Amino acid sequence: MTSKAAPLLRPPGKRVRRRLGRVALLVFVIIYLIPILGVALTSFKTNAEIAARGIWAPTGALTVDNYLSVWRETNTPRYLLNSLLSTVPAVAISITGGSFIGYALSKLRPRGGTVIFITVIAGLFVPPQVLLVPLFTLFRDLGMIDTLWPIILVHSAVGLSICTLVMRNFFDQIPDSLRDAAAVDGANDGFIFLRVMLPLARPALAALATLQFVFIWNDFLYPLVFTQSDGVRTVMLGLLAVQGQFTVAYGTQGALAVLASAPTVLVFLIFQKFFVRGLLAGSVKG
Amino acid sequence: MGIFLAPPLVLFALVVAYPTAAALRLSFTDANLLGGAANWVGWDNFIDAFGDKNVRHSIRITLIWTVAGAIIPPAIGLALANFLRSASRFSTVMKSALFAPIAVSLVVVGQVWIWIYQPGGLANAVLGGVRLEGLQQAWLANRSTALWAVFAAWSWQQIVLAMILYLAGLSSIPDELAEAARVDGGNRWQVFRKVTFPMLAPVTTVVLSLVSINSLRNFDLVFAMTEGGPVRETETLPLLVFRVLLRELQQGEASAIALILFLITLLVIGMFTWWGRRKSSDL
Repeated sequence: MTSKAAPLLRPPGKRVRRRLGRVALLVFVIIYLIPILGVALTSFKTNAEIAARGIWAPTGALTVDNYLSVWRETNTPRYLLNSLLSTVPAVAISITGGSFIGYALSKLRPRGGTVIFITVIAGLFVPPQVLLVPLFTLFRDLGMIDTLWPIILVHSAVGLSICTLVMRNFFDQIPDSLRDAAAVDGANDGFIFLRVMLPLARPALAALATLQFVFIWNDFLYPLVFTQSDGVRTVMLGLLAVQGQFTVAYGTQGALAVLASAPTVLVFLIFQKFFVRGLLAGSVKG
Repeated sequence: MGIFLAPPLVLFALVVAYPTAAALRLSFTDANLLGGAANWVGWDNFIDAFGDKNVRHSIRITLIWTVAGAIIPPAIGLALANFLRSASRFSTVMKSALFAPIAVSLVVVGQVWIWIYQPGGLANAVLGGVRLEGLQQAWLANRSTALWAVFAAWSWQQIVLAMILYLAGLSSIPDELAEAARVDGGNRWQVFRKVTFPMLAPVTTVVLSLVSINSLRNFDLVFAMTEGGPVRETETLPLLVFRVLLRELQQGEASAIALILFLITLLVIGMFTWWGRRKSSDL
């Protein structure tokens, strides 16, 4: 049934059913995504319109005023910048560190490698609440409370667990002979890692980058605990602050929610394949 | 080799391993954030925790959430994955759109579900539309509905997570297997139960582990939607730790409760891993 004529040979009942199936699917997806569509639509309605007809009224004149007012009247540009400044370094450090550990454990096989591996992986199961208590005192004593440093450090370190797991699994699939051949040619481990191994690992690195970016950008708990003043808030904290400030200005809240979600949703839509692969790679072979 | 291992392991030791050990030590002291020397109090924090009805309530709702979370989102996610399995271009686009909730932060999810649950919100409007006005209420302010209302919002996202993983799992099962079983006279449900589902056991283990970890560390959504209220109705263990640490400033007690949460996590994950091993050795 692979020829182009195949659909014509199908009984008409089947074609109608398939079309109905598509419509049903479309309707279902729209209903399921109502929460997302609702925020997006609300962000383009005037606050007066929402006050008069409710958040969920499907009609109304559209405007970008909410975006302008969020940008000008709140600290949103600063919130977004803070999120970027804490997320990007933490993504980079956790992935670099995880690649280092993964490569060393897989190809250099140090003594005690299994113990190191199990210890780092065990980090996956430690609830953030366990770390919070001692870390709060540690960062306070280091004078880091109310800066972005605790967020960067904690996510860099906590992320090592998943990154090590994925990278070790990846390097395990690359034959040792590849490293041995390069070593015979006189390359040192730094060169082999950078020039031979990392280029091969691009799919795994992309998967982790997507996963970690979404995860760290969206995190709320660590910024909440480790920051206090408005100038160091990440966008997720800013969202709650603006909610308190503009209690009934739903359009304004919606606009900020869209701005806060846009980076992760875009990254996710573009790199979806990698994201799914990252989830699976991190878990199936664990 | 040291160059590869030393920097990341030092970071891990300082920010993950050492604090975990420190939390264990703190849980046996009366340390607090007000300053003053910490005294060794033995098991007192744990005994007090289990004796406190607020802590017991938190443990209870966290366990209820975890059990419901391990059943409802995975089951619905699996069902959806089965319906969406067909590989036509149209459904590929639909699938991409349907995956989006997973990229939205729980704070945003919480915000929009607050709008849904408001007295004038979507939930009550829908109930009014189908002539069930009797059920209309302030979902998040009502003590008997608040927890399940937050759970539903959380499930909305976790269903997508389960569906994504099950779709990946289903695509790795060859169609011939199910077809062969169908030819042998099995109906759709029998084929699913006897062939497809057992083959998905490894994915099921992954789904259950991930969703359960998400259940047990879910702070963001509950905090954004109810802050643990009304009264302390939705105060799950992660929120309780937050309150005891940053509102009551009791480090020792907070550590003890956090460790109880850690222990529950290990038990749950251990259980699923054991179940997964047994299932895969059955095959």
